[in-house]
Amino acid sequence: MMESAAQFPAQSLSADGVEALLRVELASGDAAALNVAPILRHLIDNGANAMFSDAIIAGVRGMVCDLTRQLLDAQLRVKGETERIDHPTDNVAVLADALSANAALLGHLHALAFEWQLTRQMQARMALDPVLSPLLQAQMASADSQTASLAMRLLAAQARFCQEQQRMQLSLTELPGDLLHSVLVAMRTLAGVEADAEAAGAESVIRLEYHEARTRLGLASRLIAGMGGGGLAALSFSHAGTALFLTALAMASGQDRDLAVMSINETQLARLALSLRASGLKQSAVEEQFLALHPDIALPEGFELMSPDHAAALLAAAGPLAGD
Amino acid sequence: MSAEQPALARALSDGEDRLVSADDALATLQLRCGGELPGTIAVPALLEAVRKARRYELKLARAITAQAGDESVTAWIEVEPRQDGEQGCEIVLRNWQTASLPPEDIDATQVLRAGINRHLAELSAVLDARQNVLAVTTEAPDLRELARAIESGLGQEWTQFVEIDGNAHRQPMHWRLLDGASLRVVGSQRAWRASLFPRAVPGSPPDGFDLCLTSDEPLPEPVAEPFNKASYELGDAQANRRVIGRDVAPALRLPIARIIANAETIRTRLAGPLAAEYADYAADIAAAGQHLLALIDDLADLEVVEAEEFKTAPDHIDLADVARRASGILGVRAREQGIVVDPPRAGESLLAVAEFRRVLQILLNLLGNAIRYSPANSQVWIRIEAEGERARVIVADQGPGLAADQQARIFEKFERLGRSGDGGSGLGLYISRRLARAMGGELSVESAPGQGARFILDLPADRKARTPTA
Repeated sequence: MMESAAQFPAQSLSADGVEALLRVELASGDAAALNVAPILRHLIDNGANAMFSDAIIAGVRGMVCDLTRQLLDAQLRVKGETERIDHPTDNVAVLADALSANAALLGHLHALAFEWQLTRQMQARMALDPVLSPLLQAQMASADSQTASLAMRLLAAQARFCQEQQRMQLSLTELPGDLLHSVLVAMRTLAGVEADAEAAGAESVIRLEYHEARTRLGLASRLIAGMGGGGLAALSFSHAGTALFLTALAMASGQDRDLAVMSINETQLARLALSLRASGLKQSAVEEQFLALHPDIALPEGFELMSPDHAAALLAAAGPLAGD
Repeated sequence: MSAEQPALARALSDGEDRLVSADDALATLQLRCGGELPGTIAVPALLEAVRKARRYELKLARAITAQAGDESVTAWIEVEPRQDGEQGCEIVLRNWQTASLPPEDIDATQVLRAGINRHLAELSAVLDARQNVLAVTTEAPDLRELARAIESGLGQEWTQFVEIDGNAHRQPMHWRLLDGASLRVVGSQRAWRASLFPRAVPGSPPDGFDLCLTSDEPLPEPVAEPFNKASYELGDAQANRRVIGRDVAPALRLPIARIIANAETIRTRLAGPLAAEYADYAADIAAAGQHLLALIDDLADLEVVEAEEFKTAPDHIDLADVARRASGILGVRAREQGIVVDPPRAGESLLAVAEFRRVLQILLNLLGNAIRYSPANSQVWIRIEAEGERARVIVADQGPGLAADQQARIFEKFERLGRSGDGGSGLGLYISRRLARAMGGELSVESAPGQGARFILDLPADRKARTPTA
């Protein structure tokens, strides 16, 4: 912001004009300087569990860069260049900028980074394996070979996810369909006329390769959907593990998964409590989940009187995505 | 994808997201969600997924939930853009779960209804505690006369200005009795309903009311004068014959629905603890109310099929498909009674010329009867047969069967064969036969006591389909 504002218009100005311009610049500079302290304090104060911890910001930035690199790689492959090279920094910066401007994409990446942080915390606190949870283990041992194979594929996808998150990466083909589409549109738009052929080629290759059913989130939602009424079992954090718990919570409470992920944050206790209630969990089960996630928080008195329907209605009315 | 789960059902959509063909499960879902086949996809979540997959050219996969009747359906679907050069998508259903929806919260429903009535009011008035009018507004042309009359008589009871149906009471009545009342208004052809909203003061009687008039009918289109004398008269004559469907049914549905709702409230003890006997009485009241509602529907149908100008809209339909749909719709009820319904196999097909909706109505009636009168753990078969120019659907059961004299009477109006108290009206078979005949077909029965019954629906076969070149 400050950089672009500092670029004065090229045409010559009268002395008065220069003075006025400088005055405006000075004022906006002052305003920016005033904000430095509170923002800095906010960033520094935030504990490890916060929404904007260094690890999470770095993770989001890493995933944006990784997606950018994959898009550029795909375009090169269309030209027949299979050797891995470093892309010109300008190309990377422009495309990465465009991706960061996509609020929905950013929200999703943020949720993934947050999910990963939660996964590691739970591993430390409850010795919950990031990949193989008791529920997934039970599903893999299922007598129904379809369920077992689905669980196996989910296991592989979850292992890949953990590996990628360690490296702050994310495969393009792991994005939900809507987001992948918006990313591809951004790529096509930025490629412009001169690189349109490569971009179009890369786009059709990616579209063809993609299948939402094979993404980690797709597999998880399919596994939960297949459990039917047994899906309630996935609403136990220690039994289902982070990934399946979050998917089950989103499906049972009728929320977007990213939103459900963020509800675990300690600033979103009301949303978490309502989500669990809307999923149909009894009071004791809600308390149990709170004990696992936020050991130091007690539910408000009278919460047990709220009906699941009412909780769902409150959520639907309040969601930041309610208008979408 | 080595061990891919087999698809439970597949369907195809076209370039405008209409379902053009669908296997059983998806077709049933489409119909039960209020859609048609072919027709625009009726499940909102599915429509969204299909639209995105088509526009984005991406293979999408989602868990969707839908409300089909009184059940909530959760399904996992995969949607792929079609590979056969056509626009649209292929939809694959991988698994599905149903759960019955919890009963609606009656208080909440009433709040919603009140909101709707206020929103749709074509006349609203402010009343004081004794139901005298303080102010009135209307936007409906056919209520202006009423509004003028009220305005010139402000301060009088509102009931003086309208004609309340079936009410010889001296006014004023208690507002609860007037809330929901049907009424007639001078200068308007339409039937009106009053809603009263008390302005509550906690702990004391309301200090006034808001009155809203709503109508289920839109304002009739104004018609050009010169041509219309004859058609007006014809219209009146027809209207007189359609008295039940047009006037009586809408007027009765509301109070009966209210009786059922209140009886259900009592039965489920929503308003407080109650002795079990009384809860059972309430259940009886609710059941009787349901029966009455069904009877009204039958009577309205009866009127339609007995009208001289009644015609069906014949189309080329597949009887096997209709039979499978009927069996899908009543399958749950049959299972509850321990009855197995055996519809034509998938892949079987028999083309006929008839109206889809009417044939489905007939089959639902026949199958419903078969389920109702068959013993537990028995079977009901639906078979199709081509016989020359005729296409035939047979519904056979293992029930008690019918003697010859019963067979002769069973298609008569209000014939109950001595049965009562089981929810039947004695009109179903009469209506079904009228429908069959209106489509150039016939409905008949073969049976002997103790041998079960075979109801046979004969329809004109679709000859074009067999010899496409002809």
